[in-house]
Amino acid sequence: MTAFSRLPAPMGLLIDRSRALSFTFDGSNYQGYAGDSIASALIANGRWLLSRSFKYHRPRGPLTMAGQDANTLVQLPSEPNVLADLQPLADGLTVTGQNFSGSLDGDRDAFLGKFSKFMPVGFYYRSFYKPKGIWKVWEPIIRKKAGLGVLDLKFQPEYHDKAFLFADVAVVGAGPAGLTAALNAANAGAKVLLIEQQSYLGGALAWARFDIAGKRAGELRAELVGAVESHPNIQILKDATCNAWFTDNFLPVIQGNRLYKVRAKQCIVAAGAFDQPVVFRNNDLPGVMLTSAAQRLMKLYAVKPGKRAVVLTGHDDGYLAALDLLDAGVEVAAVIDMRTAPADARLAETVKKADIPLHLASTVYEALHAKGMRHVTGVDVRRIVGKGQVAGSGTTIDCDLVCMSAGYMPVYQLLCQAGGKLAYDDAQAAFTLSGLPRNLAVAGSVNGRHALDNVLLDGGLAGGAAADQLGLSAPAAGKAFAAEPRVNFDWPIFPHPDGKDFVDFDEDLQVRDIVNATRHGYRDVQLVKRFSTVGMGPSQGRHSALPTARLVAQATNRSVSETGVTTARPPFVAEKLAHVAGRGFDPYRQTAMHQRHVELGAKMMPAGVWQRPAYYGKPEEREACMQAEARHVREKVGIIDVSTLGGLDVRGPDAAELLNRLYTFAFAKQPVGRSRYALMTNEHGVVIDDGVCARFADNHFYVTATTSGVDRIYQQMLKWNAQWRLDVDITNVTAALAAVNVAGPRARSVLRKLCQDVDLSAEAFPYLGVRQGTVAGIPARLLRVGFVGELGYEIHVPARYGEYLWDALMQAGAKDEIRPFGVETQRLLRLEKGHVIISQDTDGMTHPAEIDMDWAIARSKPFFVGKRSVEILEAQPLKRKLVGFVLPAASSKPLEGHLVLNGPDISGNVTSCEYSQTLGQIIGLAYCAASQSAPGSQIPIRVEGGQVVQATVVKLPFFDPETKRQEL
Amino acid sequence: MATLQAQDFLERSPLYRRHAGASLGRLGESSIVAHYGEYDESAQLQRCALIDLTNLARVGFRGAQAAEYLGGRGFALPEAPNRALTQGDGGHVARLSQTEYLLLGSLRDAGSRIAGEETAWQLGEGGNYLLPRQDSHAWLLLTGEHIAAVMAKLCGVDLSAGTFPVGAVAQTSAARINVIVVNLPEGELPCFHILCDRASLDYFWGALLDAMDEFGGKPAGIDALL
Repeated sequence: MTAFSRLPAPMGLLIDRSRALSFTFDGSNYQGYAGDSIASALIANGRWLLSRSFKYHRPRGPLTMAGQDANTLVQLPSEPNVLADLQPLADGLTVTGQNFSGSLDGDRDAFLGKFSKFMPVGFYYRSFYKPKGIWKVWEPIIRKKAGLGVLDLKFQPEYHDKAFLFADVAVVGAGPAGLTAALNAANAGAKVLLIEQQSYLGGALAWARFDIAGKRAGELRAELVGAVESHPNIQILKDATCNAWFTDNFLPVIQGNRLYKVRAKQCIVAAGAFDQPVVFRNNDLPGVMLTSAAQRLMKLYAVKPGKRAVVLTGHDDGYLAALDLLDAGVEVAAVIDMRTAPADARLAETVKKADIPLHLASTVYEALHAKGMRHVTGVDVRRIVGKGQVAGSGTTIDCDLVCMSAGYMPVYQLLCQAGGKLAYDDAQAAFTLSGLPRNLAVAGSVNGRHALDNVLLDGGLAGGAAADQLGLSAPAAGKAFAAEPRVNFDWPIFPHPDGKDFVDFDEDLQVRDIVNATRHGYRDVQLVKRFSTVGMGPSQGRHSALPTARLVAQATNRSVSETGVTTARPPFVAEKLAHVAGRGFDPYRQTAMHQRHVELGAKMMPAGVWQRPAYYGKPEEREACMQAEARHVREKVGIIDVSTLGGLDVRGPDAAELLNRLYTFAFAKQPVGRSRYALMTNEHGVVIDDGVCARFADNHFYVTATTSGVDRIYQQMLKWNAQWRLDVDITNVTAALAAVNVAGPRARSVLRKLCQDVDLSAEAFPYLGVRQGTVAGIPARLLRVGFVGELGYEIHVPARYGEYLWDALMQAGAKDEIRPFGVETQRLLRLEKGHVIISQDTDGMTHPAEIDMDWAIARSKPFFVGKRSVEILEAQPLKRKLVGFVLPAASSKPLEGHLVLNGPDISGNVTSCEYSQTLGQIIGLAYCAASQSAPGSQIPIRVEGGQVVQATVVKLPFFDPETKRQEL
Repeated sequence: MATLQAQDFLERSPLYRRHAGASLGRLGESSIVAHYGEYDESAQLQRCALIDLTNLARVGFRGAQAAEYLGGRGFALPEAPNRALTQGDGGHVARLSQTEYLLLGSLRDAGSRIAGEETAWQLGEGGNYLLPRQDSHAWLLLTGEHIAAVMAKLCGVDLSAGTFPVGAVAQTSAARINVIVVNLPEGELPCFHILCDRASLDYFWGALLDAMDEFGGKPAGIDALL
């Protein structure tokens, strides 16, 4: 096909003729202009065949030139399924076709169309699975054929993000209705967000013709766009798609690589209407396009869409489009009006004066083509003799362009998501919308207003109403609506005995496919959709919903209103997962000493959102590092960062009473200067956390909680005290305090070098004692603890001093060979002492008796949270118990989660297990049946590979049973 | 005079390594970035800048007698929760609830007044409890004409001037962590004081700079502010 030259200005609103761009399509070089889409540039070069259809591999060219169909899906180097009529042209762009075998022009799979009779609707539901086992033969073939395009597996993810936008009024669509609505609302003082899917404002004003002279659209667009762009209250988003409507006008709007989350008090949808195709044989040939698409090509891209055109229409706009074509130098071979006459008689006179043949009450019955079907070559025009029926013979007209428009379908998708109801108006042969929420309005052609003056008035009224809802005063919008002619032809469906009369271009569905679906018993349009896949392709029923509804209605002897259309769910257009994901926010917390751990070569591990050192050394030397660190703590002194430990300050006259009610132990008489173990159960008697309560004053407790549990415990405290109303203040000081545990026989020696104002002797500051003083000149809380079973001091200081404290202790401890140890080492050390870790050694069912915590319950207290449940549980026979077990060093080591067996049954699982160098054997904690829990019992544990090892139950702790080391 | 190093001081911001190369100034018992020296930071403040004020003193008080206590110590208090007032010495007081106040120190006295308040407080019988905000929260100052747009990339609350006026306080979530945002300009310079979890500062600093990038945002020191 010969390349067409561009039309002169003012045609070509979007292109910059001073910036020529080169690109390739399917290996051939082409030229375009900045502002072109890939499709417009290709058509300007005479290239119409852009893709192959999904099922029959029929040649396809642009249908809408607005990104509303699947005919322009092409492949970019790193992205499949790109809409060529939306994708801006770029210099050097490499574009290829997709879904073909061999070449796009000579697709070997095009023969499939000839076998369409053997591939009726739903054939794949009834094929390929008989005889039994045949699916395995078909599956690889079908998989090879399935899917469109090629993924670039080396693709590097691009930056996508999200942002909130807030507006008084969000206007979706910047056509004449949207512009007027935005202006009216903004003039009243509202903050307006105007969202436009295309790269230009004005909607149809930019490409359609609204009067015979062809002047009004341009003048009006200039006036409205100028006013909107200069209005201080209006923010404009172009190239932005409002992809859904969610409750209270929460609108996801995609623009480029960003997803805006729009919050609007009022929303006006002025999204327009989709031009509708006419159903006739070969209505999918390249060169057959919607009338609006041809107008877009001319007005937006200065592309002459053909040399000799036929305009097939069901409304007056087709006549105006014919005049546009004529102005662009296209010979208009015929205007074919499916009606008996235009609503405006002047239009018929005008086209006749222009020597354009007018065929009334007629239709295109078949589009004709040469071999290969690469472009339309003519049409067979027939008189309409009944509903969908045509005369036995007609006229053949040669042409290379068929512009078709049966009417308009409102862009109802967002509105139906908002709860709007569609009803079919037989008089207008069109759908109308009702039942929208109060803060959502419609304007323009989506509201059934098509005459320009009515559209403007409707927009103005909607803008004013939105302003009124906001309590603002908007100027009156103007006069009453004028009567409008019908814009939809009521039955633009002309089945052909040879088929290929496409209802759904995406899925290659013909008239008989829809009718056959109803004959299979699928009377509901939703079932027809699922059986036939109509409306399930990329265009999501924009062009197929209305003819499908009509066909189903006719085939089932119902009205179109009764049939309805399929549900329109979000998203409105395909969206990338990258848009949904956006920029990842993955918060992490670091202690004040974090960088010191990194500098010391720590292997960091997550602990909730915290980053903690697991051990210091290389990952491949984990076991050796842990054992060396553990030995160092047992023999000399170690230091561990415990800043992540939860910390809660409980202050006030009722502080002791609060803790008495929350924890199982008794705290009312706890002496100042002492700490006490604190176990918390929930209302069900389940153990949910533990820590210590350190009493620094009569009215001040410092309560520790587990790293992962502290936020929940803090919430629990606030929740309970909201009921109890005790005179107490609860403050979460977890991040405010940095803390270390200096543990080992030499711990006191290290601390003495830095702490002179506290008597650190065992007599003056015994095990479980707590003190306030200074360490290295820093105000500190000191706690004598024994979690790892050695002499130990937890030192808690304000976080601002955390790193300095670490440095001071490392320096002061150098002579005592102080060495940092990590969380995994700490877990080994505490395991040797038999100390449980809540949430590791407990689960959502664990009650105190199961973990031998009966001693931590003050039974004389009248109340603590969970008391009654604990008593009930304790009255029941114990079903399971957490026990310590040992295995020889050479045995297979169980992992956490491995099952404990009791004959053929599972009686429990391993919760902790490590090799202890100190003890020279494998040690662990596991749940088992109560009958297996006596020391000396053998418990079978199924380990990796299904092997069963026999572990021996032992009395806890494994190490230092007299606990003399921690009380030094 | 020797160049100041953050590690010369006992008190350190979690971000001090990220400020490597910047010129530091003394701020009481700690250091603070005076300037980076790579660009015009005064102009940057007007456009979009982020200042780490974590080492500047701040403290909280909560309790039934907190207002009386603070009033007695010469602080002007906001009349309603989620409002903030700038004090005569350049410091600020934000009211976070009926009985909770956040005191933000002033650069003019290097935070000494507020630091003194923290030192002077003693736990007594009365219902007024000190909250260690300098250690629990980091303090960032976001400045310039784009502050609301930057926050809109991180936070679901509308912080634009029309709905979040001068003196307003928002206790909300940004980039998935809890933050307190206080709208208190420095003269004509739009400013959001943002307080976030101190342990999350490294994360949040990165998230904020990332959000600022499209507006040409950069970190700045306090010299341009003074």
